[in-house]
Amino acid sequence: MEREIELRLVARLKAGDGAAFEAVYEAFRPRLFSFLVRLSHRRDVAEDLLEETWLRLVARAGDLTDETRLGPWLFTVARNLFASWCRHRSLDENRLSDLVPSWPGARPRESPFEAAARAELERRVETALARLPLADREVLLLVGVEGLTPAEAAAVCGISSVTLRARLHRARARLAAGMGTSRAELRAKAG
Amino acid sequence: MTAWEPGDEVDAGLSALRVHDALPERTERIRERCLARLAARRRPPRAGDEGAIRWRAWLEPAVALGLCVLYLAEAVTRALAVYH
Repeated sequence: MEREIELRLVARLKAGDGAAFEAVYEAFRPRLFSFLVRLSHRRDVAEDLLEETWLRLVARAGDLTDETRLGPWLFTVARNLFASWCRHRSLDENRLSDLVPSWPGARPRESPFEAAARAELERRVETALARLPLADREVLLLVGVEGLTPAEAAAVCGISSVTLRARLHRARARLAAGMGTSRAELRAKAG
Repeated sequence: MTAWEPGDEVDAGLSALRVHDALPERTERIRERCLARLAARRRPPRAGDEGAIRWRAWLEPAVALGLCVLYLAEAVTRALAVYH
């Protein structure tokens, strides 16, 4: 989202403009949901947290500063809600049930070969991501998938930029290793 | 140390991830709830609401203070009864 448009939307949101809310909702809802579902591995939980995130935005819209970055703000709220949910439910972070790739998602038209290659890559990434510790997973999702800058992601996670960069480096290495493992597993299954 | 090195398989994999969305009925319900709350925020308070807010502003502390005085008076009375 362009910064000028974002600034205008923030101003209108502060004034309680429903159309501005709709624009922000359409722009960020799928991204937030994808983020939450990859953290929690559960659609029902992700939907509950998604709803709470948007309700928080509406409740606090009047308190937003003029310079608020909507993306980092929303991801911070979503992440904090997920952390609260984990504390509340004593979630086992390493659950691998209900993996995301089995769900349908919007895709442009592609050839069967491209679709098969992409599906294989996607499955490897999703599997490797799901096996990462939560702290690694969230930095990869924020920077690698959602496109937040390291500084923004650090603010979302409540850590310093230096710590985030170190964590990101480690997470990338673990993901790459995990993807290698996943490929070996897939080949073993196919063979 | 480079935090992000574009162009490798990890990047390709992350960018291949699908964007998911909540179920349509759920997204619609969230939208409706949020819009209703925004509309409620925009609605100016009615005259009756303002009067009630003014009343509550002094009535609640006054009631709390009165209850404190009664409680303290009872405590002092009982203490004096025990003393005598």
